[in-house]
Amino acid sequence: MSAVEVRGLWWRYVGRDDYALKGVDLRVERGELLAIMGHSGSGKTTLALAMTGIIPQRVPGEFRGSVTVLGRDTRVVDASEIARGVAIVFEDPEVQFVMSTVEDELVLALEPLELGREEIRERLEWSLELVGLDKSFLGRSPLQLSGGEKQRVAIAAALARRPQILILDEPTSDLDPLGKEEVLTAIRRLRDELDLTVVLIEHESEFVAELADRVVVLSGGRVAAEGSPAEVFSRVEEVKRHGVHPPDVAELSARLGLSSVVRFEEAVSALGDALSGLDARGRAPAPPEGGGVVLECRGVEHVYPGGIRALRGVSLALREGTLVALVGPNGGGKTTLAKVMSGLLRPTGGEVLVLGRRIEEYDRLTLSSTVGYVYQNPVHQIFNKSVYEEVAFGLRLRRLPEAEVRERVKRALELFGLSGLENEHPFFLSKGEKRRLALAAVHVLDPKVLIVDEPTTGQDMRFNEQLFELLKGLAREGRTVVVITHAIPLAAKYADRMVVLKDGRVIADGPPREVLLSPAAREGRLTLPQVTRLALELKLPFAPLSVDEVVGALAGSRR
Amino acid sequence: MPTVLAELIGVEARSRRYLGLHVLSKFLLPLSISLSLIYARDPLRALALVAVSLAACAAAGVPLSALRKYLAVLMSMSAFIVLAFSLFTQIPGRVLFEWTLLRVQAERGVFEWKLSLTDAGLSYAAAFILRILAMVLSATLLLATISDRDLVWGLLSLRIPFGACVAASLFFRGVHMFASDFYTIREAMMARGVDFERTPLARRFLLYANALIPLLSLMVTRSYEVSLALESRGLSPTSRTASGYYRFKLGRADYAVIAASAALLASFAAWGWFA
Repeated sequence: MSAVEVRGLWWRYVGRDDYALKGVDLRVERGELLAIMGHSGSGKTTLALAMTGIIPQRVPGEFRGSVTVLGRDTRVVDASEIARGVAIVFEDPEVQFVMSTVEDELVLALEPLELGREEIRERLEWSLELVGLDKSFLGRSPLQLSGGEKQRVAIAAALARRPQILILDEPTSDLDPLGKEEVLTAIRRLRDELDLTVVLIEHESEFVAELADRVVVLSGGRVAAEGSPAEVFSRVEEVKRHGVHPPDVAELSARLGLSSVVRFEEAVSALGDALSGLDARGRAPAPPEGGGVVLECRGVEHVYPGGIRALRGVSLALREGTLVALVGPNGGGKTTLAKVMSGLLRPTGGEVLVLGRRIEEYDRLTLSSTVGYVYQNPVHQIFNKSVYEEVAFGLRLRRLPEAEVRERVKRALELFGLSGLENEHPFFLSKGEKRRLALAAVHVLDPKVLIVDEPTTGQDMRFNEQLFELLKGLAREGRTVVVITHAIPLAAKYADRMVVLKDGRVIADGPPREVLLSPAAREGRLTLPQVTRLALELKLPFAPLSVDEVVGALAGSRR
Repeated sequence: MPTVLAELIGVEARSRRYLGLHVLSKFLLPLSISLSLIYARDPLRALALVAVSLAACAAAGVPLSALRKYLAVLMSMSAFIVLAFSLFTQIPGRVLFEWTLLRVQAERGVFEWKLSLTDAGLSYAAAFILRILAMVLSATLLLATISDRDLVWGLLSLRIPFGACVAASLFFRGVHMFASDFYTIREAMMARGVDFERTPLARRFLLYANALIPLLSLMVTRSYEVSLALESRGLSPTSRTASGYYRFKLGRADYAVIAASAALLASFAAWGWFA
């Protein structure tokens, strides 16, 4: 008997015209690790909820077909009963925490099982140990843990119930590289040590290639591809169309016309010969240094009222026409620095100069026209009743003539692909559209410096690539673009400069290649792009930052 | 175990003994202070209640320095209350000060608007201010001494339905999230050029009204996500829970606090009755 059997599943949320799932057929075998991938909005989370019985029992909508979980029909058996065998961990661990200590959070998960005190205690310690945490975490507040620890506590809370099926819905998307590694180590351990069926929803194909037994790609609510990681990722162009970016090594082997490899270890032996002809002369030219300095931080310090020292003497000069990636572990001071640079926080030491003038000398209106800041969660900065009003807000605040407002809003909406949605209420936009709207609303003010805080979180690779292309385009027009991101491969591919911030200090600053190959990359826990790691492993004459660069260099060396 | 106030503003009672009391005791004492307010209608009784509240806060080790902000708000409210009593009410009593603000002589008589300060008016105002202070102190006592654990497992041990216990816990977390989101949205408006200090009051009001759009959106999303997280663990408002992991038993100190709470309420009721 399969762990999960989905037959001809159609699901439409109440009030929506389109179906989120359109005739999905799927089996998950007992003990296997199945990865579900696909573009944002492809129906991955909906399918996960259908596997828990929450759809159709707790979420209103139209349901057709059937889902059988551990032999139980989700239309018949109550969701709370199904929950005894199935546990799910969502993308944002903070939202799922209900209690204020790790111990209480785990105990709450066990409440419906009506266990004895001793057994609960035993399960708490067992589940924490399994995800690499110890008893000392029991008394801590989940909200004060690091991203990786939070997600591991959420997984522990799920495991404590000893489910037969564990569903992980993008468990690493909100995490920095260190947090990702911590969670992946925990998942590896679950796979190796427990007889557990795992359904993993994930965007990062490299993890999937390493961990999964089987991959299902969803697109527009349908199963678009299914098979082993090797089978699925070898169809490079096809899966890319569905918002799935195959691992670098899979794409590289396909582009070199070699038989497909999807795992790093395989690639080291399989691609060595093909890459031996790589010539350092073929590497991409060094990124431009940029024009004049538009914003400068001199020994900037920031101490929060509670005494937390977020910035410790940061000095940085941003030049026009460059795309700067601000990277580093969570809590390193990236967002604080961005807010100090945009005048939303006052430095408690040092000074910030914008176009040569001290930032304190600017009034809010002028400063926000010069340095734009786009928030991590776009919902925080969307507060008008229509898309048009949202983009026009800043222009009207500056009392521009209505004709000019119309023209500039039109151009901004076109640039960010929002034309036709002028009268739509922002509340009803998709996550990606909200993100683009937030960008358009700041970009329309024509700031010299545009700071974008973690725009790639929870988005698929296709969206992220488009976004970086767009930001790169803005930099080429002469703007200074600062992107705070954990997406190192994207930053490596697109950024002109990479600044690593850790513990409130700049520990590296320079062209991405230089920074990623420096010891600071290890200190800042930056995960190198897979293709870069491959080149280092093979001791190639230079370390490429993207597949494009390898292919370009090989073509150049053949000429 | 962080208390509700510790999670909201980082303030927590220091007395381990008081924090270790049963949730019932920690609920009943502030509740009896609040109920006694019904009988504290004159400044003397209201003052007595403030003294009791202060003593309770001190016994629980609530850092009263943390109340400075409340007191500042209370001071401005006090001025408002005294002004309201003087400007808009004519409380009979010995007139201490009188000033005619407006006098209109019409065919049918004379309309006069007087600022009239009487001893009874002042007494009302003083009682009002002291009652508010006692209320603030009792609320602080409650929030600085109860935690999530009290709210969920303590209330469950009193056989209060699971849904209500979790809802009470989530309510306080919701307040914290709401406040945090509000400040972020306000900051996001500033990032687009809004200068709240220089914006006229009416315009500021409109901007705050606009902030309701993302606030509501975030509230809806978060409520949905939290309910999904609970449902996926098999927890629903009607869930049966009987793990007994936390054992809440009434001890001697609890009986003493419960008796003191009952005595407090009874004595204020008697004082009010016979006054």
